[in-house]
Formats: sequence, structure tokens, C-alpha cells
Amino acid sequence: MRPWLATALTACALIALWLWLTLSGVVSDLFLPPPGELWDALVDLVQNGYKSRSLWEHVADSLIRVIVGFGAGAAVGTLLGLAMGYFRTIDALAAPFVEFLRPLPQLAYLVLLIIWLGIGETSKITLLFLAALPVSAVAARDGVRNVSEARIRVAQSLGASEWQIFVHVVFPSALAEIFTGARLAVGIVYGTLIASEIIAGTSGIGWMILDAGRFLRSDYVFVGILIIGFMGIALDRLLLAVETRLVHWAGR
Amino acid sequence: MNEGNNMANILTTRRRLLKGAGLGAAVLAAPAIVRAAPAPVNFAFFVSTSPFMIAKGGGWVEEAAGAKVNWIEVGSGAEINTGMAAGSMDLGFGIGSSPTAAGISQAIGYEVVAMMDNIGPAEEMTVRKSANIKTPADFKGRNVAVPFGSTSHFRLLGFLKTNNLSQRDVNVLDLRGDAMMAAWTRGDIDAGYIWSPVKSKMLAAGGEVYKTYDTLEAAGYVIADLIIARTAYSTANPTAVAGILAAYGKALDAYTKSPDDASVIVGKQAGVSAEMAKADMAEYDFVPLKTQLASAWLGAPGVQGKFAGVLKGTADFLVEQKSIRAAPDVAAFAKAINTSYLAKAVG
Repeated sequence: MRPWLATALTACALIALWLWLTLSGVVSDLFLPPPGELWDALVDLVQNGYKSRSLWEHVADSLIRVIVGFGAGAAVGTLLGLAMGYFRTIDALAAPFVEFLRPLPQLAYLVLLIIWLGIGETSKITLLFLAALPVSAVAARDGVRNVSEARIRVAQSLGASEWQIFVHVVFPSALAEIFTGARLAVGIVYGTLIASEIIAGTSGIGWMILDAGRFLRSDYVFVGILIIGFMGIALDRLLLAVETRLVHWAGR
Repeated sequence: MNEGNNMANILTTRRRLLKGAGLGAAVLAAPAIVRAAPAPVNFAFFVSTSPFMIAKGGGWVEEAAGAKVNWIEVGSGAEINTGMAAGSMDLGFGIGSSPTAAGISQAIGYEVVAMMDNIGPAEEMTVRKSANIKTPADFKGRNVAVPFGSTSHFRLLGFLKTNNLSQRDVNVLDLRGDAMMAAWTRGDIDAGYIWSPVKSKMLAAGGEVYKTYDTLEAAGYVIADLIIARTAYSTANPTAVAGILAAYGKALDAYTKSPDDASVIVGKQAGVSAEMAKADMAEYDFVPLKTQLASAWLGAPGVQGKFAGVLKGTADFLVEQKSIRAAPDVAAFAKAINTSYLAKAVG
């Protein structure tokens, strides 16, 4: 079977099951809204927004948080990781903190961030920043460490300076792993988004899902999940496109 | 109930399989069913300073239910709605009138069997003294915190609406109790609409009361904490429900007779000092069970009380806020208030 056919088959099967469950009345629309209601909810959200903000404002607020948090976290993390991979001392200094932060569930320190940074955008974005940083740092460090010794020797024998070796040999070689780390990080940041919007929210797709869930508005919840899901795929594809342009040699 | 029966069936089948043909299956099945203890009651409750905690602490609920009680601690009425919809809660004590109105509108399948308290001034706006907020217009551009979906949220939105303020004029933030206290301490918010103990803590930390409840109550924004039962449970166990309500009535009497003694027990159960428990409880209007049967409140069997209208009004407001899709007519709310257990409990 062709891959696309298999994908189409599972999608159709799922939609058919959904139609049957909701239209036959087996499942109450409180648990699973029928397609018509979902469509109405989407149209309603597009036209009238949700709780005094338009749908686009919610989407934009979430996107800005993700992009700023991820961008800053990945940039700082990558720089830190490059330094950690290149200088053993920096690695020894920073590694314990990075390794401790990386597996830590973000919700664990959420309350601390609120107490320290308040309920505004700063605490939300910092949470996302801290989610992206360790993953990017570890990826960049491993990328630097995996650069083949032979390449560096060749550059050295050609008389390249330390800085030239770093910029022209080490960094490009590590770029593939840096991008893999970035894609991982964007996934984690995305997963943390809802947690960050729990606090003092009045905007964002994550907050919308939480707020609608409170009143069992499963139609809005489903629309929110679809939006957040497609946004996630779009972000990942965007990174992938950048990667294939910049690191076109990777894997070859 | 269903679960209990299934358990009994599984037990009998198991034994049948184990013991084999030596003994008659019918002989064995019978005692197994007789011996099966009644299914435990799944009881959702809030840890709060309420006389109900006396009944809970004294084991009166287990006694009245004649069964084991699974105590499920919740933090919001929304959790009770979700638990009831999933069928994993049988009774809910202290759910606010706005989540209840939402639940009835969505036909979750529960009924109001009694009221715990009329909230009155116990939930109220606290403003920072230094912010100099004296009129509704002073709220413009301020950060006001409230736990979304709560009765306080309903009141706050009512306050904004009756004063022609939009949710854009005032920055309304969704904060739970402890987070609200943190935000207040940091100076991130200038006002908060909530209940004690957070309310009294905010008042003690540079806050003052901005009175809204009297005008709002007059405008129909009445809020209360209710006692609900999953209809499938209450119809199958009417005696247990009436018994539990009677146990609550006994606790209420104990509080009315001696607030000081009651506060010691309640404080211990809720994890606050006896003084704090007493001060908190003094703010609530714990309407006696008998009074609740009057038409000014829930009404009696066959007599519709005013409260059906309150729930209908709340539900309409929630529809306007887009929190729920649609609200049924007032008759549906009257039907969802079942005072027969309450009548039995006081009778």
C-alpha cells in the first residue's frame, strides 16, 4: 500500500467513526460534538471571537509567546551549547544546571515564576524560554562534540586560526544537530504553551481551550485543539524548510 | 450502583469457575450477592469553612449513607460538573450556582437537592486602598482578578454589565486563590473578586471592601452554594440522600447553637484557626433546611421556589457570555430542583 493511501484510509476511518458515533446518537454531544456543531463553533469563533477577543488575537497572542520564547531560548541555548561543546571548562560550569533543567516538568516551577516575575507576559515567555533552552544547548553541544577530528586536523594543517576553524568547520558541521534540537525544542515549547496560559490568562488558544473546558464546551475545545494542532504542524514544517535550505548537505 | 452489581457478578462467576460442579451454582450465587456491601458513595466536596465539615469529620455521612464514602476533594464547581458528566461522582456539596446553572443547561443529569448557603457578602470585591478606587469608572484600565467560571466571576461580570463597563475597559484576569494572593502581594492587581480566606488576607494586606453585593442581589445576581446529586444515584437511593441531608441539618444546628465549639471542629477540618473559621462562617448566610423549603428559596415538592428563576437568570447570562451554548426554559430548572429529599430530611 502507498503511504499516502494508508494516511487517507486512517483519516477516513476516523471521520466515519466520528460521524457514526455522533449522528446515531450513541454518544452525547456533551462528550463529542457532531460535525455540524463543530462547524458552527468554528464559524462563530471566526466571526465573533471568544470572550471579547477575536480568534486571530488569540492565535496571534499564542504565536508571539511561542516565537519569542522559543526564539530566545533556542538562540541562547545554542550559543551556550556551542561554547559548552568547544570549551571543557564552560561545559563543566554549565552542564549541571542544563542537565537538571532539561527533564524538569515546567509546571513544577510555574508558581515560582509567577511570584518572581508577575502575571504578565514576562512569566509566560520565561517559562517557554526555559523550556527551549536546555534542549537546544544539549543538541548544540553534542553537535560540536561529534565533529570529526579529521576535519579539524585538516583545517589546522592548512593554517586556519582557532576562530576560523570554529566558524568554518565546527559550526557548519554542528548545524544539522542544532536544527534537530530546535525542532525538538519547538515541540516542547508548544507543549508548555497551555501551562503558561493557565496563569492569569484572558488570551491565547491554550487559555481558550482551558476556559471552554471548564464549562464542558466540547465544541470550542475541539476547534481549539484542531487550531493548535495545525499551528504546531505548520511551525514544524517551517523549521524543516529552513533546515533543508541551510543544511542541505545533512545526511549526505 | 451499576459498578457494584458488576462486581457481584464477577465475584460469583469467579467462584463458580473455581469451585466447579461440586456445589450448585445457584446456592453459591445467592450468598455472594447478599454479602456484597453497598457500592461506595462518591462524594465531591470543597475543603472550606462550612458547618458541613462537622458532619464529615464526625462520620455522620457514612452513617446516613449506610455505605463507604469516597471523599473526592475538588477545587472548583467545574470539576464537579466534569465528574458528574463522567458518572464518577454521586453527590456534590457546595457547588456554586453558576456552575450548577451551566450543568443543568447542559443536561448533565443531576438535580439540586438542597442549598448549602446563600453567599451574600461572603464573596465581594476587594480593592487596594492606595489605588483610590471609589466609583465604577475608577476600575477602567485596572487589573481585576477573579477565578473564571466561579460565582464570583458571575458577580464581577454582572458588576461590569450593570455599570456599562466592557471587559476591555477593565482588564479581567483569571486567577485562582493562591495565585491571586501572590499577584496581590506583588502589586500586579488592584482588585480581586473572591471569597475568604484569600479575601480576608487581601483585606489585611492593604485592601478595602468595595461593596457590590447589595445592588447586584437587587438586580438579580444572586449567588449560592448548592448540594447536588446525580439523578441516577438519588432516584436509586432516596433514603440515603435524605439521611445525608438530615446529617447536614444536624451539623447546621450544632453551629447555630454554639458557633464557638463548631468553629474549633470546622477549623481543624479545614486547616485554619478556630478564629478564622468563625469569622469566615459569619459572612455566609447558612439558610436552615426548613427555611429552604419556602417559596422564597427552593420551594417544596409541588411548589416552585424563586431559586429556579435565579438559576435560569444565571444560565441566560452564561449563554450571553458564550460559556454555554443554550439555556432551557425556567420549567427545566424547576424540574432540576428536587426538594422531596429535603422535605423527608426535615419532616
